[in-house]
Amino acid sequence: MAFGADYSVIVSKKVSFSTVGSQEIRDVFLQKRHTIKDQKIIPINLVGQDDVRIAFESSVLGMDRDRLNTYWVKQHFAGINPPVTQPSYESIKSFIQNVDGAIGYIPSKMVDNNVKVVYEF
Amino acid sequence: MTIQRVGGFITLAIALQAQPYTLGQGLDINPMLNVGGYFSSDFSSKNHQEAVSLDDVAVMAYGEINPMFSYLAEIEAAGFYRKNISTGEEIGNQKFHVERLYGDLWLSDAYNLRFGKMLTPIGYWNTQPINVLRDTSSNPLYSMLLFPKFVSGVDLNGYLPGVDNVHYHLFAQKNHDLDEKYVTFPNEHFYGFSAEKELTNESSFGGSAGEYITLTHQRTRFVEANAKYDDSQWQVMSEMMFAKNDFADNDHALTLSGYAQGMYRYTQEHAFVGRYEYYNDHHTNYVDNIAVAGYSYRPCYPVSLKGEYQKHSLRDENTFLFSLSVLF
Repeated sequence: MAFGADYSVIVSKKVSFSTVGSQEIRDVFLQKRHTIKDQKIIPINLVGQDDVRIAFESSVLGMDRDRLNTYWVKQHFAGINPPVTQPSYESIKSFIQNVDGAIGYIPSKMVDNNVKVVYEF
Repeated sequence: MTIQRVGGFITLAIALQAQPYTLGQGLDINPMLNVGGYFSSDFSSKNHQEAVSLDDVAVMAYGEINPMFSYLAEIEAAGFYRKNISTGEEIGNQKFHVERLYGDLWLSDAYNLRFGKMLTPIGYWNTQPINVLRDTSSNPLYSMLLFPKFVSGVDLNGYLPGVDNVHYHLFAQKNHDLDEKYVTFPNEHFYGFSAEKELTNESSFGGSAGEYITLTHQRTRFVEANAKYDDSQWQVMSEMMFAKNDFADNDHALTLSGYAQGMYRYTQEHAFVGRYEYYNDHHTNYVDNIAVAGYSYRPCYPVSLKGEYQKHSLRDENTFLFSLSVLF
């Protein structure tokens, strides 16, 4: 896959699907759904307010930080937590390499043959 | 359950806290335990009677036992403290009751089985009924007077297979409520379904239908429809419900209720809200047209300060209402 975009959404190479739509990514990162193409999914966020996370939330989830905070406060009352976080891109990549079904985002320049790109933004 | 025990529970949760705390998202101790709570307080002025109250004091806990099973438990003391300023009368209820207690068995995105005591999955207001999550201090009457607030039974829910973004609920109750203290219509018979279609990230519409028979043998069948648009600046929503009541003495009556509400957020913290509501109970001849104008200030989303004025077509029902509510 050509790395034309700045950031890539990646999964383990063991996962059967090769591409996903933004709506599917949005649904799993908002904890509305827990599978993509019958694969149980574990979404991984970067901790904090990094520019990449903000870009992901804006362009893929379609929500700014305030709106997303509102969403998670409402979900808290419903008993639903935000996705788990990892402290760095390296740890996101490592987590995804080792856990089938984990999905996260990293700068495209960090992509190598150990992970599979399923979406770019 | 006494308030001392609840306090001990909170203290234990804080002592065990493992993750940084975010206001409004609970103490995330580990994947199996998140502890939170909420309260609301208000001041009301109606018909020359003024009152302050601390209401809806609640503690909740939830978590994921394994990838297929999760739970939620919530206890609440409604009407915790109330003082009528005009008469000096004070009343209160510091006894906690089970508000929600359920487990979720996740089988797939299409089939999730919830069992226990849960909020009835109908409409927008009943699924987020607490003050801090609402944009006005008051609820539309339809959400309080026309169907049971809770189901003590089962709810099969998920995304309809083969249909884009349609979420459904099929729920049933054939037993006493798990705790009848805050149940609006105690019953042993409550069946229904609801569905919501998400059109875009901002808009959705849906509906529901159901039947319940109260312990006083009143049978009610209802249908409901709703639609909503919500972006970062504007929110417009509307719901209507039609209920047919069959009473134990063979009398029959219809009730029609609905509302339309608009909200404009001129910053993330400040918003104006307006609502028109209609309620018509043919059995009691209770007919009211209600206009609500309100203002909402949220220094952060889990902290809500709201004020509103309700203008009723019925005499002596006009009300000023102010509230402060927080979700922990």
